[in-house]
Amino acid sequence: MNTAGGEHPGSGQRGAGASSARQGGLEVVLAAVARGDDAAFGVLYAQAAPAVLGIARRVLRDPAQSEEVMQEVLLELWRTAARFDPSTGSAEAWIMTVAHRRAVDRVRSEQRAADRELRAATASVAYDEVSDAALTSLEHQRVRRCLEGLTDLQRESITLAYYGGYSYREVAQLLGLAIGTVKTRMRDGLIRLRDCLGVE
Amino acid sequence: MRARTRGTGLHTLVGAYVMDAITDADRASFERHLLSCEQCREDARGLREATARLAAAAALPPRPELLEQTMQAAARVRQLPPVVPGRSHQIPAGQRWRHVLGTAWRPAGAGARLWLARATLAVVVALAVTATVFGLHMSSMQGKLSAVEQRDAMIATVLGARDATTLTAKVTTGGTATVVMSHRARALVFTANGLTRLPTAQAYELWLMSPVGDTPVGMLPPARKGMSGPMVVSRLGPGEQLAMTVEPASGSRHPTSAPVVMVVLGG
Repeated sequence: MNTAGGEHPGSGQRGAGASSARQGGLEVVLAAVARGDDAAFGVLYAQAAPAVLGIARRVLRDPAQSEEVMQEVLLELWRTAARFDPSTGSAEAWIMTVAHRRAVDRVRSEQRAADRELRAATASVAYDEVSDAALTSLEHQRVRRCLEGLTDLQRESITLAYYGGYSYREVAQLLGLAIGTVKTRMRDGLIRLRDCLGVE
Repeated sequence: MRARTRGTGLHTLVGAYVMDAITDADRASFERHLLSCEQCREDARGLREATARLAAAAALPPRPELLEQTMQAAARVRQLPPVVPGRSHQIPAGQRWRHVLGTAWRPAGAGARLWLARATLAVVVALAVTATVFGLHMSSMQGKLSAVEQRDAMIATVLGARDATTLTAKVTTGGTATVVMSHRARALVFTANGLTRLPTAQAYELWLMSPVGDTPVGMLPPARKGMSGPMVVSRLGPGEQLAMTVEPASGSRHPTSAPVVMVVLGG
């Protein structure tokens, strides 16, 4: 296809993660971790582990597996900290990309069909459970408010994919939508979410 | 909503891509597409930041013991060097850590090379727990920090400082004092482990001592689970030493007894 003619709604309004110094902290901590500074690793753990565990738990559901994934991710961060490139985005985005990917890989490689059907039944309530999380931070409320600003299909597509760990094909099946529709709902919903959250 | 009949094009995959909602084959072809589409790379970057916020909103506090397990496991994992331009930098895929994690929380064998001394590890653990609270606050931080948040921010700063060094010293009356300090940040974090319990009329007081005089830093709060502190000391001056004495519980303006521990800060 001709990519040059593609539409990119909402793009260009924001510099994405280019301004990686946002709040500064985690990039500096990662740099120290890359030098083998174990105290810095403690700080990285303190700042990243709750979100890593949170997303693993949302995707995997199983508490023990989620903890395993959380530890694997933290060790992966320890191991690869020197490879983090601030020009590709923020440290938070890098960390959460590693975390989410690993959780999803675990689901896809280990979850059997029966489990997936079970998850299908529970994943639809995933969004509401956001409020049941142990934390009710301002950030949390802001994300919730921004999710509420999406259309139902955008929100369901995103929560099933990101929190549920489903592929867009599976999401299409679950929602009874065409694959192309789901792809655009995911993209447009995330763009709206990005703008609502004021991501830099 | 805008008409987008070509919505099935490859570039619409960016949303599914950043949420890992695609097959490996899809990922490979989309990443090839990214190579030739700068705008798509930019979009992917921005949307990734949004997904990171989704993850942050789902944060859960890990069980406290996982920190120590993870740190001990990390001590057994060799880190990758930075990418040196001109060399290939493939990160081996599918690395699994379970073999490392599987042994991490067993008592260290005689030959185990633990690069954190027990006491230091305990301190890092205690501080990181403090920093966890701070980390959670970070995401909700708006405007002013409370005194406690400032303290926690300072702890995180010292621990994260490039030049953070750890000094430990025995307390003459029992226990161990640990100082993590950053010359660059001109600050230190003090904790103590296993201090002798004092009668209620007395308390431990920290001092900065220098040739020009002694400055009271503050009273050490009562120990919890054997751990006292953390206390943050900032705006360190050259030639100062940290000392702790036993004082009346209300504190003293000047030390009234000999220090039970002195830490030479150097620099």
